[in-house]
Amino acid sequence: MIKGLNYKFLILLSTVLACTILAFFVGFIKNETIVYTHFFYVPILLAGVWYRKKAVFIALFLCFVYILVTLFSPHAELYVHIFERSAIFVAVAYVIGLVSEKRAKGEEKLKETKEYLDNIITSSADAIVVVDMDGIVRSWNRAAEDYMGYSAKEVIGTSNKNFFADPGEAEKIMRIVQREGELKNYRTTVLNKDKKPVHISMSAALLKDRNGVPVGTVRVSRDITKEVELEEKIKEERDNLNQILESMDDGVYIVSKDYKVEFMNKVLIDALGYHVGDICYKAFHNRDEPCPRCKNTEVMKGKTVRWEWYSRRNNKTYDLFETPMRNINGTISKLTIFRDISDRKRMEDDLKDAEERYRVIFEHALTALCVIEDGEVVSVANKEFETLSGYSREEIKGKKWIDFIADQDRDRVQNYCVERRKGEAPACCEFKFVSSNGEIKHVNAWIEPIPGADSCIASLLDVTELKRKEDELRETCEKLAELDKMKRDFLNVAYHEMRSPLAPIVGYASMLERCELPDKGKKYLYNIEHSARELEKLINRMLELARIDGKKIELSLEGVYIPEVVAEVVKDIEPEAREKKQVISMAVQEVEIQADRQKIVAIFSNLISNAIKYTPEGGKIDIVVEDRGEDIRAYVADTGIGITEEHLPKIFERFYMVDTSLTRKSGSLGLGLSIVKEYVKLHGGKVWATSEIGKGSKFFFIMPKRQ
Amino acid sequence: MEEKKRILIVEDAAYMRDMLVEMLEQEEGSYEVVGFAVNGKEAVEKYKELKPDIVTMDLVMEVMDGIQAIRGIKKYDPNALIIAISALGTPEYKDAALDAGADEYLWKPFTINNLFEALERLLRKREG
Repeated sequence: MIKGLNYKFLILLSTVLACTILAFFVGFIKNETIVYTHFFYVPILLAGVWYRKKAVFIALFLCFVYILVTLFSPHAELYVHIFERSAIFVAVAYVIGLVSEKRAKGEEKLKETKEYLDNIITSSADAIVVVDMDGIVRSWNRAAEDYMGYSAKEVIGTSNKNFFADPGEAEKIMRIVQREGELKNYRTTVLNKDKKPVHISMSAALLKDRNGVPVGTVRVSRDITKEVELEEKIKEERDNLNQILESMDDGVYIVSKDYKVEFMNKVLIDALGYHVGDICYKAFHNRDEPCPRCKNTEVMKGKTVRWEWYSRRNNKTYDLFETPMRNINGTISKLTIFRDISDRKRMEDDLKDAEERYRVIFEHALTALCVIEDGEVVSVANKEFETLSGYSREEIKGKKWIDFIADQDRDRVQNYCVERRKGEAPACCEFKFVSSNGEIKHVNAWIEPIPGADSCIASLLDVTELKRKEDELRETCEKLAELDKMKRDFLNVAYHEMRSPLAPIVGYASMLERCELPDKGKKYLYNIEHSARELEKLINRMLELARIDGKKIELSLEGVYIPEVVAEVVKDIEPEAREKKQVISMAVQEVEIQADRQKIVAIFSNLISNAIKYTPEGGKIDIVVEDRGEDIRAYVADTGIGITEEHLPKIFERFYMVDTSLTRKSGSLGLGLSIVKEYVKLHGGKVWATSEIGKGSKFFFIMPKRQ
Repeated sequence: MEEKKRILIVEDAAYMRDMLVEMLEQEEGSYEVVGFAVNGKEAVEKYKELKPDIVTMDLVMEVMDGIQAIRGIKKYDPNALIIAISALGTPEYKDAALDAGADEYLWKPFTINNLFEALERLLRKREG
């Protein structure tokens, strides 16, 4: 540089010197006083080219020399020209300097730009390759070296066909570039030096010469192997996801930002038809614009929302879960999962209704109800429980269950509760309940475990009053039972004691029969014997009734032939009828029943002797027995005085007497019909009577043939 | 002529004892009253002492009742002939007496014919 400067500077100095001498010398030769200043333009030009604006200094120097020389010349008229020419020198020098400077600057810039571009090409992460129209590589940068493994020296001048995994690609790319003029983000696979595939994304442009004739293509490629692998992985995952979504019971769909349906799973397609590619609000809701409640905008902002949607169209409620989903290309779609919760919703409503109903029942139940948590604390109670305990609802809540139980019953009730929870105890338990003022109440408690919870429901019935009455009743019953026993014992003893004196009467009378007696004596004896028999019968009936009351009766069953029984009874009491000139007629069917013979005899005997007793002299008595298949029906009819309707239902009651005067006349204690009723009942039958006043009565019974 | 049947009367009521004696006297040729007892205990003792052919046994008595007396006598002599006589008419008493070993049951009140019929049944049974 310094050498150059010196070299140029020396030339310039020589030129200045030469031109100056020449300028003066030419004038001197011609012998003129004129200085040939045109020679001065040569150094000015040189200085302008080499030193640019500094040429002005050369011009000024030359002007100084020129003026100096001229000042010593005798031609003063030349002074004007001197300054004029000096000014022109400076001006020319300046202009040349300026032009020269400008040109030099442009060249420098060009050079810098070229260096810069070379740097870019060399250091670019993308491979930049120039290929001529024959497919021969002409340029190969460092990035290309890096990911292909080939150095520039190795490949420049060879065909680019060798690099593609599919050799046809080379020609295809050339064709596209030629046709389109460029190629953008074209994906292909090349093989590196180790023959390993490298995925690249290539952009290419056509290179043309000055005349517009294509001379080659420049190709910029990027190694996208990792991206491609990632994409494949993403795609695989997306496929998996889609498979999951397809197989879900819930409806799943994906819509884009502009409401285009991108995906619907099988459930949805089955329900709504295939609408992928349609606009959701049009396809699903038949609207011209997005639904008012649509959450698309929110989700697009990255929010996940969950909400309930009721569809008026199919009367169903859905639980919607909507979340943003980033697609491979960076856009966001909305993934919506919706579940039909109509059944759950309905069940919830039903449950609410049921709960309300049960609450009302609980509240207004007539038993005191409360819920015991963990067998300890009372959590809820109803109105009746308030009444029973004397505490307010607020006071009851949180109170210990055990506090309501009297001390002596606590262990027992707690054990009962534990066993009840295990399902081992009976449903009901009785204990003494302590109310707020310390009053003890007897309660019947039903403790029922609530399934699936650690609590149970206790229902308490206040039986204090009931218990008091029960005690009273039991006492009364015990007293009555005692009295009854006394009565029966008394009757048994009385029976024995009354029959014993009869023994000598009957005995001696029977002996008297063997003696010689006058007619009157015989008659008296007959009367004695008759009365003794009547008395004996009466005593026997009393015994029978005493036994019936004591429930000591057992039937000794055997086949009883009814006509035989009736005949026997009639034969026995016919003398009485004959005395009263009564007619006994019989219509007894031949039937045998399973019964206690003695009882059947007693039934007929009582009915017939009753009829005889209450029928006036000359009356008629009918005895009828019918075989009705399963049972027999019998009646004894008389032509007696009859019984009024008022008395009719009561005549089978013990000691019931229709008319005391009549009773006296007939000598009955009203025991006969009572015995009939009991005996018929014992055989599973029933008795009743009909009557017409003044015409007579009919006494019926029916009795099953088999016991 | 047949030998007279010797009879022991067990009865707490005097008037009944008298009547039975009166009745049996009607058939003096066949029956002879050999002794009396007024309770069950005495009855067993008298039976052992007198060894009668037939015993008439009241059931309701003090000290020892008739049922026990029947058992006691039957235990001593299983061949003893006993007629139970009682005003107790329920089948249970009759069954109890027969179970204890009584051979006949005569229900008070009874006629003289009832008594002799029972005695004859008893003797027939023995002979048979």
